[in-house]
Amino acid sequence: MEPEKKPHGTEYRTYTLVWMGLVVLTGLTFSVAGMELGGWTVLIALAIAGTKSGLVLNYFMHLRSERLLIFRVIIPLVMAVFLVFVLLTFADLAFRGGAR
Amino acid sequence: MILRSFQKMDEAKTIVLEESNTSAKLGMWLFILSELLLFGGMFILYSAYRYKNPVDFHHASRELEVLLGTFNTLILLTSSLSVAASISALQRGQSKLSMVLLMVTMALGLLFLFNKGFEWGAKIEHGIYPNSPALLARAKGEVLFFGLYYVMTGLHGLHVLVGICILCGMLILIAKDKLNPTRFVPLENAGLYWHLVDIIWIFLYPLFYLIT
Amino acid sequence: MTTTGAAVTFHPRTSFYEDPGRYRGILSWILTSDHKRIGLLYFIFVIAFFFTGVVLGFFMRLEMIAPGGAIMKPQTYNSLFTLHGITMIFLVVIPAIPTVFGNFFLPIQIGARDVAFPRINLLSWWLYIFGAAIVALSVFTGQGPPDTGWTFYAPYSLRTTVNIPLAVFGVFILGMSSILTGINLVTTTHRLRAPGMTWKRLPLFVWAIYATSWVQILATPVIGITMVLIFLERFFGVGVFDPAKGGDPILYQHMFWIYSHPATYIMILPAMGIVSDVVPVFARKKIFGYMAIALSGMAIAAVGSLVWGHHMFVSGQSDFADLLFSLLTFLVAVPSAIKVFNWVATLHKGSIVLEPPLLFCLSFIFLFSIGGLTGLIQGALAPNMHLHDTYWIPAHFHYIIFGGMGFGLFAAFHYWFPKMFGRMYNRKTAKMAWVIMFVGFNVFYFSMLLLGWEGMPRRYYDYLPQFRPLHLTATFGSWILIAGLVVMFANLFHGLFKGEKAEDNPWEAATLEWQISSPPPTENFEKIPVIDHGPYDFKEFSKNG
Repeated sequence: MEPEKKPHGTEYRTYTLVWMGLVVLTGLTFSVAGMELGGWTVLIALAIAGTKSGLVLNYFMHLRSERLLIFRVIIPLVMAVFLVFVLLTFADLAFRGGAR
Repeated sequence: MILRSFQKMDEAKTIVLEESNTSAKLGMWLFILSELLLFGGMFILYSAYRYKNPVDFHHASRELEVLLGTFNTLILLTSSLSVAASISALQRGQSKLSMVLLMVTMALGLLFLFNKGFEWGAKIEHGIYPNSPALLARAKGEVLFFGLYYVMTGLHGLHVLVGICILCGMLILIAKDKLNPTRFVPLENAGLYWHLVDIIWIFLYPLFYLIT
Repeated sequence: MTTTGAAVTFHPRTSFYEDPGRYRGILSWILTSDHKRIGLLYFIFVIAFFFTGVVLGFFMRLEMIAPGGAIMKPQTYNSLFTLHGITMIFLVVIPAIPTVFGNFFLPIQIGARDVAFPRINLLSWWLYIFGAAIVALSVFTGQGPPDTGWTFYAPYSLRTTVNIPLAVFGVFILGMSSILTGINLVTTTHRLRAPGMTWKRLPLFVWAIYATSWVQILATPVIGITMVLIFLERFFGVGVFDPAKGGDPILYQHMFWIYSHPATYIMILPAMGIVSDVVPVFARKKIFGYMAIALSGMAIAAVGSLVWGHHMFVSGQSDFADLLFSLLTFLVAVPSAIKVFNWVATLHKGSIVLEPPLLFCLSFIFLFSIGGLTGLIQGALAPNMHLHDTYWIPAHFHYIIFGGMGFGLFAAFHYWFPKMFGRMYNRKTAKMAWVIMFVGFNVFYFSMLLLGWEGMPRRYYDYLPQFRPLHLTATFGSWILIAGLVVMFANLFHGLFKGEKAEDNPWEAATLEWQISSPPPTENFEKIPVIDHGPYDFKEFSKNG
């Protein structure tokens, strides 16, 4: 892939900003863990992890600058596949009655 | 006219090079998809067992060293930065800088593995490992937690190790000038693999260390 | 059929057989990166493993010819059906069409010189061989071959003393091979199409392999990790599927079938692709509903990944999951039916040429339809309660896998044989073999449908005397079927060495592989073609202009 025709140093700057964002989000997830959030805990943890992954995927892995359709489709695709696997498995697990 | 035909040859070569670059990158991304689903299978199991044993998972999680886990997370995130930067450096013709950044990445990876080994060692010394009498004496949910912990962080650690080896290979190629501003896709792909390893840990960290 | 119309230059250059590349002798084969040679390497072993699976099946049916022990002990019978399943599924049916014909013909059909990653292609083959060797090792070492069924259900697979670790490790390696092939063929289809070869001009075989390859990439890792977990549980007692440690055996079944159901689509989609390519050629007519067939393949891949729970209706999963999976199972029948309607519509008012490839495709349509309809019956919850784990189930899937994929594979043998080997087989003998196989197949497997309906349990070594007549019939049917297979393979083998030299385009087909020499040269094309017509454009060949 051709690197973006950015002036020198811009890439390093972007990467460093992303890294700082990742560190902040790590701190956030760490502190949120100490709070009493009941059922929301997992969702928030996953949301933060998802955001961090999004940063890594888009900036470190350059997905953001990909133009071909196939590159834009694959991550949503694998997320959808995984989600389907989990949801259908839980269609079993969450609805077992009695002693199962 | 001669100049123009040289230009055309250059263009044709660029097109072919672009083409094989994009193919290589697509292939690497498809491989990453398969790795995501390999770990994804384990995350399905994790979610199922956490759902069934929420209290046990909470208790077991508190035995993990949160600070060490957090430190390891920061290590991997930083290593992603260094590997991304090493690719930029190579693209700009700064091979030496690129190599240094690669070595930083590898060092951070080794530090991660060292920490992991230390964590595991501590647990094993306390008698907490798959099939240990101490573990089997505990609640079923805790047995499952630690089973998943060892397998998932173990598999992840194996991928870190493989990643370090791949980066080492890239280091050698740069040293031999086989990778340079006109040929850097192998390094990019190695970087993609490293970032994958980072992403998996981004999810492992809160799910094992931060269960409240 | 003689070549008419289109200029097919008879190339005097060397075929890929005469061009060994960097190495000599056997190394020029096992270290090749030519997709055609790799396709043939797979060909040899797929056939060898197929014969192995048939022999295992033969002995199974021999044992079942009468109640009680006939020629073996119960443990042996358990191992036989386990090995038969592992061999047929992982070593034959899943790899066969993508690795043999996908490798050989997909690059040519899209106008490319090779796949995107030729050396990874070779690695895929080596992994296949390595995986097969490990499975073979599990038969002859330790406490003997696995006896769990090819499904390796926990907790039995965790407790049985036989060679489970080796077997599951072999399956894991075979999975890696499959994933790499999928990655290769998806990338090839995306990036290496010739100028003018738009997605809408691709042969439907390519579309089918493309859809299959996505399933290989996305589903196979799940069985990979599942096999790893069985391995780890046996060695380290990890406890993930062991009920004694809090594990859930039903979760094992979920993880197993999340791959193994889509795997059935890895098996059938390529065969459907072959039918889609062959039928137009022998009806001398454009395929009916090109986009419908192309997209229905993708739909089968997608919806087929949502139905795995229909293997688990009686496992103990929730009623809600039962209902959901049953509903989704009915949905997945729709895109398959679309294909069947479109094939039949293509034949309608076509100019039918009843050559062996078409015969096998016609029987595909018939047998696959029976398989599909029986699938609907067992996909409904109430009948499933009675039919699960009876002979109905293996009868159903043999109609689909053998009647469908198997006959589709044989159609591919007979269609592409002249292109791959530059020779023609005896077509009358081929048709005779087909008749024998068709008769044997139905006598065999229809009897099994009836047996299942009557309540005969599957994977049982012994049975009540009331089942005897149908078992006898089934075993006889198996002998007729095997006789047909013998005739077919002998005929092809004979054609390989003594057959008449084949022309470049004996079937007067319009896809790219028929516009180059038989066998093809190493680089496939002298010049990469520029495409300006669809894959079933027979105008140039029509005798009536």
